[in-house]
Amino acid sequence: MKVEGVQHIDAPRAKVYQLLVDPVGLSRFIPGCEQLERTGDNTFAATLKAGVGSIKGTFKSTVKLEDLRPNEHFRMVVDGKGAPGFVKGSGDLDLSDEDVGTSVKYSGDIQVGGTIASVGQRMIQATAKMMAVQFFTSLERDAKPSGDTSSAPPPNFFRRALSWISGWLREFFRKR
Amino acid sequence: MADKYVGRRVKRTEDPRLIKGLAHYVDDIKLPDTLHVAFVRSIYAHARINNVDVSEALNVPGVVAVYTGKDVADKVGPVPCASALPDLKVPDHRVLAKDKVYFVGHPIAAVVATDRYAARDAVDLVMVDYDDLPAVVDVEQAAAGSTVIHESFGDNIAYKMSSGEGDIEAALSSADKVIKQRILHRRLAPIAMEPRGVLARYYPGEEELTVWSSTQIPHLLRTQLALMIGIPENKLRVITPEVGGGFGSKLNVYPEEALLGWISMQLGKPVKWIETRRENIQATIHGRGQVGDIEIACKNDGTLLGLRYNVIADLGAYHQLLTPAIPTLTGLMLSGAYKIPAIQINITACFTNKMATDAYRGAGRPEATYVVERALDLVAAELGVDPAEVRRKNFPAANEFPFHTATGLDYDSGDYEAALNKAQQIVDYKTLREEQKRLRAEGRLIGVGVSTYVEICALGPSQAMPAGGWESATVRIEPTGKVTILTGASPHGQGQETSFAQIAADELGVDLNDVTVIHGDTGVVQYGIGTFGSRATAVGGTAVLVAIQKLKAKASKIAAHILQTDATRLSFEGGKYSLEKAAASAAGASEPVVPVGEAPAAALPEPETNGRTSLTIQEIALAAHLAKELPPDTEPGLSATYFFEPKNFTFPFGTHIVVVEVDRETGDIKFLRYVAVDDCGKVINPMLVDGQLHGGICQSIGQAMYEEVVYDEQGQLVSGTLMDYALPRASHVPNFELDRTETPSPVNPLGIKGVGEAGTIGATPAIVGAIVDALSPFGVKHLDMPIKPETIWKAINTSH
Amino acid sequence: MIPAQFDYQVPQSLEEAIRLLAQDPDSIKVLAGGHSLIPAMKLRLAQPQLLVDIGRIKSLSYIKEEGDQILIGATTTHYELESSELLKSICPLLPACAKSIGDVQVRNKGTIGGSLAHSDPAGDWPAAALALNAEMVIVGPGLERVVKAADFFVDLLTTDLKPGEILREIRIKKPTGRFCHAYQKVPHPASGFAVVGVAVNLVLNGAGDCEAATIGITGVGTKAYRANGVETALTGRALDAATIEVAAEHACDGVDANSDLYASSEYRCQLARVHTRRAIEAAVATR
Ligand SMILES: Cc1cc2nc3c(=O)[nH]c(=O)nc-3n(C[C@H](O)[C@H](O)[C@H](O)COP(=O)(O)OP(=O)(O)OC[C@H]3O[C@@H](n4cnc5c(N)ncnc54)[C@H](O)[C@@H]3O)c2cc1C
Repeated sequence: MKVEGVQHIDAPRAKVYQLLVDPVGLSRFIPGCEQLERTGDNTFAATLKAGVGSIKGTFKSTVKLEDLRPNEHFRMVVDGKGAPGFVKGSGDLDLSDEDVGTSVKYSGDIQVGGTIASVGQRMIQATAKMMAVQFFTSLERDAKPSGDTSSAPPPNFFRRALSWISGWLREFFRKR
Repeated sequence: MADKYVGRRVKRTEDPRLIKGLAHYVDDIKLPDTLHVAFVRSIYAHARINNVDVSEALNVPGVVAVYTGKDVADKVGPVPCASALPDLKVPDHRVLAKDKVYFVGHPIAAVVATDRYAARDAVDLVMVDYDDLPAVVDVEQAAAGSTVIHESFGDNIAYKMSSGEGDIEAALSSADKVIKQRILHRRLAPIAMEPRGVLARYYPGEEELTVWSSTQIPHLLRTQLALMIGIPENKLRVITPEVGGGFGSKLNVYPEEALLGWISMQLGKPVKWIETRRENIQATIHGRGQVGDIEIACKNDGTLLGLRYNVIADLGAYHQLLTPAIPTLTGLMLSGAYKIPAIQINITACFTNKMATDAYRGAGRPEATYVVERALDLVAAELGVDPAEVRRKNFPAANEFPFHTATGLDYDSGDYEAALNKAQQIVDYKTLREEQKRLRAEGRLIGVGVSTYVEICALGPSQAMPAGGWESATVRIEPTGKVTILTGASPHGQGQETSFAQIAADELGVDLNDVTVIHGDTGVVQYGIGTFGSRATAVGGTAVLVAIQKLKAKASKIAAHILQTDATRLSFEGGKYSLEKAAASAAGASEPVVPVGEAPAAALPEPETNGRTSLTIQEIALAAHLAKELPPDTEPGLSATYFFEPKNFTFPFGTHIVVVEVDRETGDIKFLRYVAVDDCGKVINPMLVDGQLHGGICQSIGQAMYEEVVYDEQGQLVSGTLMDYALPRASHVPNFELDRTETPSPVNPLGIKGVGEAGTIGATPAIVGAIVDALSPFGVKHLDMPIKPETIWKAINTSH
Repeated sequence: MIPAQFDYQVPQSLEEAIRLLAQDPDSIKVLAGGHSLIPAMKLRLAQPQLLVDIGRIKSLSYIKEEGDQILIGATTTHYELESSELLKSICPLLPACAKSIGDVQVRNKGTIGGSLAHSDPAGDWPAAALALNAEMVIVGPGLERVVKAADFFVDLLTTDLKPGEILREIRIKKPTGRFCHAYQKVPHPASGFAVVGVAVNLVLNGAGDCEAATIGITGVGTKAYRANGVETALTGRALDAATIEVAAEHACDGVDANSDLYASSEYRCQLARVHTRRAIEAAVATR
């Protein structure tokens, strides 16, 4: 399924970029990330305990950052395997300045396979939505100018995050 | 015997054990020391396998062995494909994947353990190292083929084939109207209530292997398994216990069946595998799967001139037993119930990264009927005439049979208009159309769909079949007088134990309860072909009948000997051979015909009968077994076997009329009437015929409105459970108003045509026709199945 | 369809259940009717180490009136709610909702507490709980707290229940005055779950105008929600066809609707609007 959208983050571009390509940051944003270790240049091994409610699976994953152009662009490739199946995704993130803060343009592709694909059909979309929200909530929380860390995301934040992720999902389901 | 059994609604003798839960399916058979098998299956649609690491799995307590594709590559032969088409590409289909996987669910390794739980736990610990490859999912893209699935073939086209008679180009160019329509036949999962299951037991001392499998074809399976495993066929016994439905999905030879047999031989213990529902959806054959373009040519008065169907068939990754043949069956039936002088089908059959398609109830014929019936509806809409009238206009008349079609068939018998008339009477068609008009004016969306189908059944002459088209029966009367029938037409829910017993009880004049029908055990039953293609009663039932006639020929000789008369002077009635003394001498007209060269019966001396004037068939059976009073040169015992080879197929037909109402706001579909008038030739048991129709129509409703096996763009099967794959339930189906016409088939002495697939063939186009008709005020001419409420809602809201 | 290995214990009391859970709240799960948990376990999507079966604690299953409240024990089954004569007379929304769930077997085993705790995006009870402003009584080690339905459902399959806590009771204020209820559902043809489910609870004044409206909708979003826009558009108005129609148009306001193989988000919203209207009409028709 295609992933596409634009996300506004209320923080300067350099800061957003730095957080996104930093393993510590990533491990905080990727939902369910329990462990993230550097295994090479911009390559990480991660253990993701992903899922919702009582439904959870552990995925051994590699996360790779490619095409890094500081403060502008990078590509993230995630490849996770576990007993419930696999999750693979790659996406280009493009950062640009906005009047206030940074705009993150995202475009990529996600594949889900195995049990989760064959039985979780009715919830995959909602799960992806939820995880995207979690990713950007955490990013926004960390990216906020310090001193402001405890406050909730801006009121329209969830709506925006949701509409972005649902855009591509709708696209995906329409194709079918 | 006062009443005959044939033609009566005799209750199924199978049912008490089924209802009470006392029947034995494969999983109900428990053998001591049985090991259990679970499969590691591909989670990718297309991938290279670098390595399969079983070491961790082997450490699970209870795990006995794990076999991979490498382990069995040169031990178990390929999964067979029985369709021989010119230039057919046949991939090497091994029981376990070795270097590549080709579909989600493709078996990679078999884990064997002392219980199912350990086996299942170990499956999660088999580490498969895959490199995934682009998946070929869309069949049209498969045909274009940038990614090639089986590399050595160079492309994804398994075969191309054209067939048909008549000058189609001329028909298309000279027609007043040529109507074109693209149509989709989505993939369906057969979903037998009982999934597949195999139990295999090898006795190393006797060197005998017994395989219990939930199959429709025990004997064909035995032959194929013997070849695959390399065991002499006479050392292999296949037993088919109770089978909980097949719908064609068990008309096959699957990797698991051979593998289980082979594993049992390796380990010297019984091994069992029961398919899960998820495996059933992923790795049991699918049905349908065609993308087609119709071109139908007609005159302005509705006379049909020609039909062309260009179709791309989605075969899946491998050929199962009949995979490539299914689209050719579509080609055979493209004339439908009509005179169409020129017909052409152009098939491009393609490999895709999906489970194989194969025979699912109707097997290529529902596709054909759907094509023709949709085409007729399009013609009617284009010409602005009633769909029933376009059909009537193009029927061959009852006196035009045998009727030759431009697809090369000779329809045996039929009166298509009679069935249409009857169905129209039942719904009061004229009033119905007026009512529809009136309600439409009130804003209600009422639709009427008509399908006048014909199908091909009683498969079939051996010339037209890959592995024999005959069927076998043995009839035996035991010393105690009980009648045993051994049929090769092993049933999977059809009720042959009842219907064949009805035939036998009538023919032998015995009580139905004295007849037992035995099937599905190659160690007991003579070779047979199986139950599929609506053949069991027409071909297998006929074999029973003729075997009984053979048996009676012998019985009458024995009777004549004991009663000291000539066989020709005996009459048979109510299970008794009786002397015809008085009748014979009194009425010259009814004198039996005496074979040339023998003295006329009347000239014989009065026989010495010890006072007996009649003998029951049971008394004769006992005498035959005791063998003390047999005529000279007579074999003891009373049994006969017959292999019936039909000379042609049979062609059942009928009319289905459906009335629906569509909810304009939600797209919900409500059935208002469902009327079916079917002609399946002579009816043995009306209740069984009704049951076949009920089930078939339900599956048609499923296809028309609910069912679709969905693979996503990466080839993941995302309709993988019955939470998503919607089968129709009792609450989804209307009351069926069934009626019949009865046109006997001249092809077999019982006059039977067959009914097993009529429902799935005749109903779908009527349902779709009704829905499309309901939406015609919005300019809708066609919708692809499954027509879900959303499909309708969109159609209403886009065509405004 | 074989779950991973797990242990199973039957506590005799709620206190014992809580003690058992406290050993390792993350890998121990409460088992009620098992009709959501067991399927997930069979697919190995959930692999708890231990199941604590509260379904056998008798004192957790009841339907009773107490003062101005209806109290429902968490392990009360769908069937018990569906067939309760008491509820049919004092709070018909509950039996109506219960009746729409799954099939007879599911209703005989599944519990209202399990359903609310599981918070399936297509589950029926959350809609009714929201429409009735239910309160969830939650117990954990040494604590008892009460959470309003509106705060209980957090996200997809996620509630305010913390690991180690048990939903003990559902409390509903007894409907009073001229109230009317309806539950309208589009079942998924395969699963029977709600593609859309609308629970309507209206209070009318003497003139038949809408004094208060609370409406819960399930199946549409990642969790059930209150249809605030619809409620506002009804409140204080005469419930004529036009008002109802206009109000129902707000059924999906602010909701990003799910889409799956059966229904796209656009169509889901359409269903939500139509069935909200029909549910309101059905409720009004009972008066
Ligand atoms: C075929 C089928 C059809 C169905 N159709 C529908 C339908 O149409 N509509 C519908 O709403 N539902 C439907 N369901 C779901 C059914 O209603 C379940 O019973 C319900 O969702 C869960 O209740 P349960 O008691 O079975 O909970 P369980 O499965 O035992 O538990 C579910 C989850 O809740 C937790 N839990 C349970 N009780 C408590 C508690 N008291 N406190 C804290 N946590 C708890 C468990 O740990 C688990 O995580 C269907 C289920 C099936 C199998």
